[in-house]
Amino acid sequence: MFLRLQDVCKSYNGGSVRALDGVSFAVAEGQFVSVIGPSGAGKTTLVRLLCGAERCDAGQIELDGVRLDQARGGALRALQRRLGSIWQDFALVEQASALQNVLNAALPDMSPLPALAGAFGRQRRDEAAALLDRVGLADKLDAPVHQLSGGQKQRVAIARALMRRPALLLADEPVASLDPVTGRQIMELLQDIRRTEGLTVLMNSHDLALAKEFSDRLIGLNTGRVVYDGPADVPDQALAAVYGGGEAAP
Amino acid sequence: MRLQRRRGALLVLAALALFFLAAAFTGCDPALLWSRRGHLADILVKMFPPDWGWFPRILAPLWATVQMSVAGTALGALLALAAAPLCAGNLPFPAPLRTALRALVQLTRTFPALILALTATFLVGIGPFAGTAAITVYTFAIMARLTSDDIETAPDGAFRALLTMGTPPYRAFFRGMFPSVASTYLTNALYLLETNVRHSAILGYVGAGGIGLLLNEKISWREYEKVGSILLALFLAVCLIESLSAYLTALVTGRRKAGRTLRRVIIAAAVVLTLVSAATVGRPDFARTSLRTAAAMLGGLVHPDWGFFFDTGAGGLGYLLLETVAIALAGTVLGALASFPLALLGSGRLMPRPVALLGRTVCLAIRAVPFLVYGLIFIRATGPGPFTGVLTIAVCSVGLISKRFGQAIDTMDMRAYRALASMGVPVLSRVRWALLPQLGPAFGSAVLYRFDVNIREASVLGLVGAGGIGAPLVFAMDHFDWPTAGAIAIGLVLLVWAIDWLSGQLRKN
Repeated sequence: MFLRLQDVCKSYNGGSVRALDGVSFAVAEGQFVSVIGPSGAGKTTLVRLLCGAERCDAGQIELDGVRLDQARGGALRALQRRLGSIWQDFALVEQASALQNVLNAALPDMSPLPALAGAFGRQRRDEAAALLDRVGLADKLDAPVHQLSGGQKQRVAIARALMRRPALLLADEPVASLDPVTGRQIMELLQDIRRTEGLTVLMNSHDLALAKEFSDRLIGLNTGRVVYDGPADVPDQALAAVYGGGEAAP
Repeated sequence: MRLQRRRGALLVLAALALFFLAAAFTGCDPALLWSRRGHLADILVKMFPPDWGWFPRILAPLWATVQMSVAGTALGALLALAAAPLCAGNLPFPAPLRTALRALVQLTRTFPALILALTATFLVGIGPFAGTAAITVYTFAIMARLTSDDIETAPDGAFRALLTMGTPPYRAFFRGMFPSVASTYLTNALYLLETNVRHSAILGYVGAGGIGLLLNEKISWREYEKVGSILLALFLAVCLIESLSAYLTALVTGRRKAGRTLRRVIIAAAVVLTLVSAATVGRPDFARTSLRTAAAMLGGLVHPDWGFFFDTGAGGLGYLLLETVAIALAGTVLGALASFPLALLGSGRLMPRPVALLGRTVCLAIRAVPFLVYGLIFIRATGPGPFTGVLTIAVCSVGLISKRFGQAIDTMDMRAYRALASMGVPVLSRVRWALLPQLGPAFGSAVLYRFDVNIREASVLGLVGAGGIGAPLVFAMDHFDWPTAGAIAIGLVLLVWAIDWLSGQLRKN
């Protein structure tokens, strides 16, 4: 999927907090882009705008040439159906099984009655089970999510995102609440999926080392503006502007 | 997955089948209720407007009611706090003591406050002292159980560490373990204070003081406008206590902060209120009491009327207990069904503010009326018998279940809901798959808990002629027929024990 942002602005509290201030960039199909920056730089706002959870105040957001910022109702949902997203806090239904959580991603494609009754059908169940197998949870299909570890939960969330066969995968701090070893495993899984499925990935991260290692390109935000846009394999000094005050990133 | 779904469906089917059996057994007849709806409406209309001029007459008995509940709750909760560590299975206190205390708690837990109060009137005379004693015992039983359950799941690292330093176990408990259960303990105590006000309001029925005597009198004389003013006064008192308790709960759970001075003022006020309540509650009256009465009561428990106990006919214990369970079951299911929409209506999260406020006020009003009053009102419409009992239990259940359910709605985790929204899932499917799974367990546990309470409440409905084991029990006690009373008491203990075990099994699933 081709993604293009043009002069996107977003502020909160009646304009007193400018979260995004004229952000423009484009992402080509199949790229792995990491958005980096200190807390409050606007990373989360960016993802929220891209998945349609919020609307920008000004500027344009295009997905494959369709204006996301102007889409409403059915048109917006049609765009959202082509996205997969994963979150720092997983956003799973804790009481439901792993399989059910993955199946939930099939709900947008179903007609209302079967969706409410839970008649997902054999084919979707098999597909969901195969995806859980793909992320390494073949033995946890029926486990309620609250029994899983943090890394396992994020794997369920990834399987749920893949269930949508997304063209663009949005990841909001996907490893921030995991320990370093588990976080690395999740990143390796994401990279592997990206290679095999040819996905476009846009990830938020405050972990510069992981972002540099796994992505093709970095976009550095600081106080809502793009201050770096370029290759990921650069020395830390090149990213000084991102973390402000000329200080190199940790 | 498949298997789980099938088991869930089976459970629902079994519950439905049980409900229809219980409804048939208790002679539930919606047509009868509908045909006599006019009587109910008449009574409600007559209650409004309430007799304002009569209001001052209510204040003294109302204060006595509040006094009984404050003193009884505080004393009972303190006793429970002392006993709870000794009851908990994970602490190194003597096993025989634990077994004995647990048996005592289980035994006292069986009996509704009203029966405890009736028993107390035989021992300490008629008046508020008996009521206070009953509330104390009732609170003790519930709090001891809840607190020892909490202790068993609380982290015990600090406690063990203190033990290894040579701290005596009891002291080690209060230093090392109590802090982690303290907020639940206080929350439970505050919640019991609320329910105890309602319980105290009917203790007057058996001569144990408070506003109940007056209420009973006015209902039997059909002075409904005076009944209306009593109920309004009760409603206001319950509102006051609920908001006070909500404020204190928020402080205890740390959702609201208070400065050091404010904290001290609150604690001092609570202590003063408790002391004043306890000191002015009235003296026990031993004029009617004798050791012989107490001995005869115990004798009834030791030598119950086994003929009645094993009688399987329609007048036998088995039938009466079954009727009690059926009333509780049918009433709980009906109440749960009615609670669902009310809870949704009262949720500040899903509804606009005025609607939610209205929903909550309705819930509160339903909860403020003591349950025997519903019995007395329904009996005018549907006549004496178990069906009236079912209606009574159903209406009483609505108050508590909708409150618990509303709390569950207000503490739902919305993240999964939003995540599904960002995938383009339509709103109904989002509610069905991201929100309902969270509410199911909370709803189930609220209903199970209420069923447990309803068994006790159903066992005193007989007092107003609404079926179940209550009438024979109170009749036997009033006539000093201790062997029959003993047989019923033993039957109730066994019944509550069996239900406890069953609901424990259900909870595990």
